[in-house]
Amino acid sequence: MANSKDGAVENARKDLAKRLKIDASDVKEQAVEDSDFPDMSLGAAEDDEMSGQMITRGWRIRLEAQGKTYEYRADKNQVRAYNFKGKNYRV
Amino acid sequence: MNRNNIFIHLALAFVLILVAAFAGQLNRWQKQWKSQVRRVPFEEKKRPTTVKDIALGETRGFGRPEVLVKFRNGVSQETIESITSRFHDRVEDRIENAAGWESVDDLDDADAAATVAEYSRLPEVEYAEPNFEIELPDSIDGPLVPVLPHDPQFTDQWALANSGQRGGKEGADISATLAWATTTGSDKVVVAVLDSGVDYTHEDLAQNMWVRPASMAPYRDNELGTIDDLNGYNAIDNASDPMDENGHGTHCAGIIGAEGENNLGIAGVNWKIQIMPLKFMNAGGFGTTKDAIEAINYVIERKKAGVNVRIISASWGSTQRSRALEDVIRKAYENDILFVAAAGNASVNNDRSPHFPSSYNVPNVISVAALDRHDQLASFSNYGAKSVAIAAPGVDILSTWLGNQYEEKSGTSMATPVVAGVAALVLSENPRMSVDDLRKRIMASSDPIVALKGKTVAGGRINAVKALQD
Repeated sequence: MANSKDGAVENARKDLAKRLKIDASDVKEQAVEDSDFPDMSLGAAEDDEMSGQMITRGWRIRLEAQGKTYEYRADKNQVRAYNFKGKNYRV
Repeated sequence: MNRNNIFIHLALAFVLILVAAFAGQLNRWQKQWKSQVRRVPFEEKKRPTTVKDIALGETRGFGRPEVLVKFRNGVSQETIESITSRFHDRVEDRIENAAGWESVDDLDDADAAATVAEYSRLPEVEYAEPNFEIELPDSIDGPLVPVLPHDPQFTDQWALANSGQRGGKEGADISATLAWATTTGSDKVVVAVLDSGVDYTHEDLAQNMWVRPASMAPYRDNELGTIDDLNGYNAIDNASDPMDENGHGTHCAGIIGAEGENNLGIAGVNWKIQIMPLKFMNAGGFGTTKDAIEAINYVIERKKAGVNVRIISASWGSTQRSRALEDVIRKAYENDILFVAAAGNASVNNDRSPHFPSSYNVPNVISVAALDRHDQLASFSNYGAKSVAIAAPGVDILSTWLGNQYEEKSGTSMATPVVAGVAALVLSENPRMSVDDLRKRIMASSDPIVALKGKTVAGGRINAVKALQD
């Protein structure tokens, strides 16, 4: 199902809460901005993943939890955790 | 005057005579040369110019037929304009340094010879003649006249014919319209689009899709069993349907081979071709290395079974190296298959930070960077003096999209099928060319671009006309 911007932010919040083992209400939305990503994995490819090399419009989502900032990337098709403890994850 | 002075004056006179004689000869040589420049009167064009041609032609500066008219001395500009207006013509240009000569544009698109006759009868006119079109340098034997398709959105396809539309640089294109004077492709050439599949029902693609011949058995894999690959291959679920759920593969397919001259949408680099859809990327536009390998293996097996699939277009990649992927691409090379791959969109130097599969050092791989409509390396494009082979248009490229739509997209994804398409054109003219020779031909076909010096191996933009030169 296609993501809306709000839906993508909500999915990102839930994912971060799960990864940090905290309540979703403790994850704050810092910023959400439209962004062009370099490829179809939004510049956040998982290991062993190949993606189309087409500039892809999406949203860069910055969340704050436990005093740190975390970045998620999303478009209508997907939400990804970017560089979470050194790795990318497809949510 | 003493004796020495006489000799000096005689010597000077002799030199002057020699100079004058040489100048005269130069003039004769010049006239001779001018008369030998191959000129194509408009009536000798391959097909009649139509109103649509005019509309399209004007986008590249190939306008209506013109005549050159020399009015007699004393004929005023008002009279000239009155005459041209009476004939529903227009003075296109006064020719400087040739008093009395006017270039007259026939707004009715009448036959040039008839227009010349019309003007020649006037008492105010000394001479009238068709404005001959000087051919381009003889890059290919015979006349080379641009061929312009009637596909309605062709004028937006700057990669094929850049007339400066939307502020671009005129001529910053792959010279497709001139290449089409030689070939518009062949349905005997099969190009595999290894991607998110292809919408094989798209109105501008359906006629150019590969379909497994009835005489050929369905695909059989030792592990996967029998797969009915009627319309191509889906490596994600090893099923029969390579229908695109994303749009990326459909876009790439249209660049290579949207049907030309069908009065629909756009024209591909090839008007006629067979596109074999291979699906390994999902609706999100990403997939696994394993599925890419399965799909390449499928292509090799189909080649062995007799399908003339000579090119794989691969508009995807990552920074992760896979020995298995490299090996199967090498296997494709051993089976005479070219592998055209996107250089990547991270604005990095692939010589230092490689991108795969485009950076594999396998002889059939051509890595492609992207150019914008100003002949500049796209801001996002990867580059590499040693590892990126050539550049092609890849910004704001109009092509086919899901649901009989057309969209503009950017990326080295879009530049890659341009090169794959040109390679297919070459094969349409040279079906037996080896993959080594095909790659060499592509690499030798570029127009040098200053902005690409030190950025790619070829240092230029691919040129389809040059690629077709023997």
